[in-house]
Amino acid sequence: MDTFSCSIAITGASAITVAGTGLEPLLAALKEGRSCLQPVPEDMRADGQGLLWGRAEQFKAADFMPPLKARKLDRCSQFAVATTGQALREAGIDKGAIPAERIGIALGCGFGGIANSAEFLTGYFKQGVAGLSPVLFPNTVANAPASNASIEYGFKGPNITFVQRFCSAESAILAACRFIEEGRADVMLAGGVDELTSLMMKGFAALGQVHSYASGFGEGCGILVLEREEHAVARGAAIKARIGRIATLGLLLPNAEQAGIDRLLPAQRSFDQVSFSGAGAGIDLLAGKIGAQTVLRTGQVVGQSLAMGGVALGALSRLLRPGQSGLHLAASPEGPYFSFSLHGDTPA
Amino acid sequence: MTATRIVITGMGVFCGAAQSIPDFRTAVLQGKSGVGPVDLFDVADFPSKIAVQVKGYDPAAHFTRRQVTRLSRTDQFALLAAQEALTMSGLAGCYDPYDIGVCVGGGAAGMFQAEQWLAADLRGERSRPAQLRGVLPDKTCTELALAYRLAGYQGSITTACSSSASAIGWGADLIRSGRQKAMLCGGADSLALLTFAGFNSLKVMDPEPCAPFSLGRQGITLGEGAAFVVLEEEQAARARGADIIGYLLGYALVGEAHHMTAPEPSGESAARVMTAALAAAGLDTGRVGWVNAHGTGTPANDVVESNAMKQVFGERVQQVPLVSTKPITGHCLGAAGSVEAVATLLALNAKTIPRTLHFRGRDPECDLDYCHDASKPSDCSIALSNSFAFGGNITSLALAAADLQQGGA
Repeated sequence: MDTFSCSIAITGASAITVAGTGLEPLLAALKEGRSCLQPVPEDMRADGQGLLWGRAEQFKAADFMPPLKARKLDRCSQFAVATTGQALREAGIDKGAIPAERIGIALGCGFGGIANSAEFLTGYFKQGVAGLSPVLFPNTVANAPASNASIEYGFKGPNITFVQRFCSAESAILAACRFIEEGRADVMLAGGVDELTSLMMKGFAALGQVHSYASGFGEGCGILVLEREEHAVARGAAIKARIGRIATLGLLLPNAEQAGIDRLLPAQRSFDQVSFSGAGAGIDLLAGKIGAQTVLRTGQVVGQSLAMGGVALGALSRLLRPGQSGLHLAASPEGPYFSFSLHGDTPA
Repeated sequence: MTATRIVITGMGVFCGAAQSIPDFRTAVLQGKSGVGPVDLFDVADFPSKIAVQVKGYDPAAHFTRRQVTRLSRTDQFALLAAQEALTMSGLAGCYDPYDIGVCVGGGAAGMFQAEQWLAADLRGERSRPAQLRGVLPDKTCTELALAYRLAGYQGSITTACSSSASAIGWGADLIRSGRQKAMLCGGADSLALLTFAGFNSLKVMDPEPCAPFSLGRQGITLGEGAAFVVLEEEQAARARGADIIGYLLGYALVGEAHHMTAPEPSGESAARVMTAALAAAGLDTGRVGWVNAHGTGTPANDVVESNAMKQVFGERVQQVPLVSTKPITGHCLGAAGSVEAVATLLALNAKTIPRTLHFRGRDPECDLDYCHDASKPSDCSIALSNSFAFGGNITSLALAAADLQQGGA
């Protein structure tokens, strides 16, 4: 079943991107059709001219947390802690208002932990055991952002981190919806977080990917507040949108592509607003099957990454007007593929 | 309405302790540890120089030269373990490929190769870009999907040491919710300088083979490998004539919200995840015969887990052994949860509670039955398998033997 036995409401969303803090700067850029991507600094280009990236230079961790705490967190954890706080605020959830065991977090995390891993190892390669910094090691794990956010806000419900190519955030949001459906949690924070470093650019260049998958890479975080509709109504929350259906496939098999597409896409193929996220030929293939009045390509505005689906879904949920239908499609070069059906809130 | 029950129809393992299910059964039941010196990279400067490494591993014995270039050590372990699990299940051709998914718990993934690229780069030497390809764990998942034509769900869970236990639980969820008919679930990880140096830098590596729940224990012994299970809905599996080799009755995963590296000291969170796994399985505590502990051998973990057992099992706690199979396998990090789930299933089916090896003396703070002296016979068909991780990501699986249907306790 691709649908849920309960209605799952989006009651909050926030983002940190190259466009700025919160969803508003991103929405403004989308409306204006203005790319916020910047030239990759010359010393990091490694592989040619004209490269753009979406590094969230405006983000200052100290705006969201004490400097001492900020220093202990890796960049992805800083993004996650800051964005979670904003999303909770928008959903009208004060810290401690939801029983700790009933609120959880599910994040997609792409390259989180890699920067700390490289710095930790560099210390060793340059100075041997004396160069090892134990402070760096705990934040080499990809679950650090979700865990640091859970520690900051006291989430003791389900806590999980995914990585699956350009669909890492979508993977996490699917799990969060299922946890709500099963009753494992009343509220889930869900989305994705990713960072962009000079080492990554070097790696992309080494792999010959700067002009393909890694072209216009971005960083940041996009998080939704999800809850069972009855729970949202009971606490008087404003519902921004509802998630009706999530379908996913790992591969589109040769000679069975249409069967896969039919499973992935809903029967309805025309929507008020459609959002695309990810990379590879799969996106164009799927786009050709869908009709839409408005198309959102957040990746072109703030950059794509492995976990920017949370940003795209946040934008879509905010832009859907009451009664409108929305679709979010995500794809990766070798799969997976995701399809989310959303509905704008229908006033009672 | 009858709740959908998830059965296990295939298992595979390729790790430092054993490279097949039959050999792993022997290792688990007879208590044969794979701990030895590490020769995968230079460990001379570290206090701990041992691990349960996959020794004498020759990729060319299993893969073509092109595959060896493309696949990380972790990918290779995963493909080998998954092949055994899929063959055992007899799944091929039974379902539409879009109905079969794969979920992998990852850890260091291809870091062993990537750190060689970094070292060469820092020395100003020419480095091989292919060494970077598997740096994220999702590549292992994609390789499995492509190799075995599993076109359904594809996802990788990265919650450090609980990754693969969560992958098994989440895979079951995908079947229970009707999204998939079968799932290949498990985990894979290889030794890497990053983790070896990292845990040494935190001073949680025991120079001697890890001794969970023992007096004087100093920490973990790392391991490596992969383990996978094939999950299906019970009626569908029986309808196709599959052999049922066990059950995943339920699982739970929660966050401790306490500290990035230290466990929540009261054991409340660890107790909560075990209780939630039992609730998800519809079991009361009296049905559980024993618990395969996270049991790392760190001073903190073992006390917390022992205290949690008391909160869960109350007066019955001394009748529910808490054992660790990590002295046999080493701590396989991203693969630990699945390696231990397979060990638990093998022991449940053999009606044996495994021994916790390397006993050094009784710790007054660890005052439960850990089967330190010997393995024990057990009529019980149900056990929990715990996996705890950095960040307070903790998971517990409720597993049952194949004889559950025939009235196993």
